[in-house]
Amino acid sequence: MNAPQPSPRRLHGCLIAALAYLATTALCLWLLRQPLAEAPTLLRAGVSLLPVIAIGFSIREVLRLVRASDELQRRIDLEALAVAAITVGLGCLSLSLLVGANVLAIEGKTVLTWILPALSVTYLIARFFAQARYR
Amino acid sequence: MNNRVRELRGASGWSQAELAERLAVSRQTINAIETGKYDPSLPLAFAIARLFGEAIEAIFTPDP
Repeated sequence: MNAPQPSPRRLHGCLIAALAYLATTALCLWLLRQPLAEAPTLLRAGVSLLPVIAIGFSIREVLRLVRASDELQRRIDLEALAVAAITVGLGCLSLSLLVGANVLAIEGKTVLTWILPALSVTYLIARFFAQARYR
Repeated sequence: MNNRVRELRGASGWSQAELAERLAVSRQTINAIETGKYDPSLPLAFAIARLFGEAIEAIFTPDP
């Protein structure tokens, strides 16, 4: 039996999905600002959601990576994910309370845009510490 | 939980990487089990017991 290792193919899949996300984000931002600025709402909605498809592929690749890992790695991933979800959730709640109290003025669009990147970064940081705990 | 995995592995002359290979887990998992930082799942504990030809309760014992 072979010890579970993330195969280069799976890592390539993650990299391609990340690149596709960056490319579709840049493309849809350009399209919505220039050629499609006055396009019908349905078309603008479709174009603006292009990066979601790439994110869907990256989530699939990450799930495949997790499934290929062993039980300790899965536990580490689960702990990191739980910490990231709670941290970002609490951050959002704190921001909404501060905005509600007129202490801060943040656009909802800005907050919504940063939720997924914040989750990803917090997950990576939490994963680093969770991994160190079992070393 | 206490365990005799390190002792049994040493007696078999295997490295952590070799044992990990035989159990289809990562070396980090073996290290975490040996140092008591991680208690394996029941299927993995049975696989360890089967590999060393011992009863599961002869390898894993609850903390006193």
